[in-house]
Amino acid sequence: MDAARATAMTLRVLTWTLLVWAGVTGLACFAVSRAFALRADGASGRIVASVWSHGQIIARAVVTDAAEPAPALDAALASNPGATRVDERIVGEGPVVTRPIAALPMSLVPGRDGLEVTLDGRTEYLTPDELLARQAYDRGINVAALGLTAGLDAELALAILAERFGVPVTGLLDRAKVRRFRVLRSIPGASPPRVITAETMTDEDVRSGAIAAGRFLARGVDAEGRFRYLVDAPTNRTLSGYDWPRHAGATYFLAQVAALLDDARINWATLRAASQLRDHAMVECGDNRCIGSDRIVDVGSTALAVIAFAEIAKTKLDPAYSLVVPGLTAFLRAQQRSDGEFMHEYDRSERRRIDVQFLYYSGEAALALSRAHSLLHDPADLDAARRALARLVGPGWSFFGSRYYFGEEHWTCQATDDLWDRAPNAQALDFCLRWQAFGHKLQYEAGETPFDAEGAYGLGPLLTPRLTPVGSRSEAGIATLDAARRAGSPASELSTLELQMRSSLALLLRHQFRPGLRHLLVEPDAVEGAMPASEVDWQLRIDFAQHTGSALVRWLSLGR
Amino acid sequence: MLSRRVAIVFGAGNLLAAVLLFVGVFVALPARWWPVDSGAAVLIGLELVSGVALLANGRLARRLAVVAAAVALALGMAVVTTLALTASWLAGVYGPVGRGGALILVLVSALALPYFVVWPAIQLVWMPPGRQP
Repeated sequence: MDAARATAMTLRVLTWTLLVWAGVTGLACFAVSRAFALRADGASGRIVASVWSHGQIIARAVVTDAAEPAPALDAALASNPGATRVDERIVGEGPVVTRPIAALPMSLVPGRDGLEVTLDGRTEYLTPDELLARQAYDRGINVAALGLTAGLDAELALAILAERFGVPVTGLLDRAKVRRFRVLRSIPGASPPRVITAETMTDEDVRSGAIAAGRFLARGVDAEGRFRYLVDAPTNRTLSGYDWPRHAGATYFLAQVAALLDDARINWATLRAASQLRDHAMVECGDNRCIGSDRIVDVGSTALAVIAFAEIAKTKLDPAYSLVVPGLTAFLRAQQRSDGEFMHEYDRSERRRIDVQFLYYSGEAALALSRAHSLLHDPADLDAARRALARLVGPGWSFFGSRYYFGEEHWTCQATDDLWDRAPNAQALDFCLRWQAFGHKLQYEAGETPFDAEGAYGLGPLLTPRLTPVGSRSEAGIATLDAARRAGSPASELSTLELQMRSSLALLLRHQFRPGLRHLLVEPDAVEGAMPASEVDWQLRIDFAQHTGSALVRWLSLGR
Repeated sequence: MLSRRVAIVFGAGNLLAAVLLFVGVFVALPARWWPVDSGAAVLIGLELVSGVALLANGRLARRLAVVAAAVALALGMAVVTTLALTASWLAGVYGPVGRGGALILVLVSALALPYFVVWPAIQLVWMPPGRQP
């Protein structure tokens, strides 16, 4: 028989082949799904009880009942005043895939599941609390091109377990039996915290959340006016990195809180942060002034500095800041093209504008020019802001499919609201309402993911929802709601958007460190009020608190 | 025997499948992984060679097309099965994949099925044993 006769296929054979394939695949899918689901067996019902002190476990016992005597735990509590006993009750178990090793990171639900490893008759539990304290979730797989990280840091988890068993990491997976388990956490003697939802959220919740975020940022402003830009929450270590746009944005939020509270510490921190911008970061950019420290500077730093300075001047925290605004807005206007778009970079050495565009900067510049006009009434600022907004929502976002896909437009929609009374742009409002409606489709409802994600945005349950986009989209959504009300939009559209915002704000308040899982933190008071990047990623960057805090302040100022 | 017109359609289709696979794997995917890359490379090669042979009315064109279609069908079925099993595993670990996740999986399958299951199946049925282009 030749090769052709051996490989060609009749219609009957093909049909049967495809039918059998589809049937076998369907059955296999059902079996795999069932096999890896959690079920209550084995260790279920056991309690992994740990005593934590300053973010470290100092004693542990596995008990079957919370009331069961555990002398080791009692002794640890007695000898460590301030230590906390935390019970993690196992409510389900399931197998994990350890081969290929790339499957192990995705075998655990972040923040919910731990690893139960049995080796030579001894079982060790690596609980969700431990994995959170070591920041092992969402560190496993990094897709740099998409800016995504997901899954357990299996290398770290195995290293911890190997140390606990006193064996080398190499070969641990070959010798040990590994399962996952899900827990419910409780702190004996402590009453469960009140759960804030869209329905139960009050203005006082929002106000105290905004103030706590402001106090967190204010505590991090040093004598020179620089923020603790990035903090590892469990250890309270300051990590490397700095960024002028985010410094300016955080200063803006501090000014908002200063106006809300009139607290001397926050006022003083705001002015130190602002003076760092004015006295150390403001440089010559050709004939104008701009914010930056390098040869190439960007429009975003200057735009956000204008927004911060305008807020400080408007709220009378220091009216003199209005004097530095015109030099900065002149720079922004000089960067604007005739079609309204901005050239986002400037080469100070060559006194040359660089016509490149990045995320956010054009929206920031539009809002900055609008705020500057509100403060100083220079018609050139209003005209520039109006043209920038028209470009952003018109030719700047016009392509096949632009109705089905959006960028991050939080500054654009804040500019839309800000300009509404002076230069209303119906196309911009329509754009922002469509963007929020798009977001509404992507907003999680309760029970849609394994996480506490009601009000967050995302697709599917695999990626732990990020909180910063929730904050920034809430800033924009509340601004859009404000403008839409003034524009007389239909009540049904407004009520949908209002509920969407309430759901997001409630989520942010639930995840704010107030106080959070204090037992996992070395210095919980230092990070009180901070916003984590996600439920399990506890790196605290200043813009996380800024976006959430600004959204909360906006909500309070919304005329409801 | 395949008519000249059918040979041209199959040849052009195989070249299109090769281009789509190249773009999908070597341009769109953000990371390189040898099992996917090598499988794709083999299939791209087969689709290219068979496509050119069919268009050029080469002596081995039919045999090459049959081999390419068989390999494409096998790999295509394997990919769809793997995607389905992965989704099932994730559903077991995380719970139902939800509307968004399901939509993405359906879209990925819909992208792969026409070119790497349906198209090679049509070719295999259209080219019964012994026929020559």
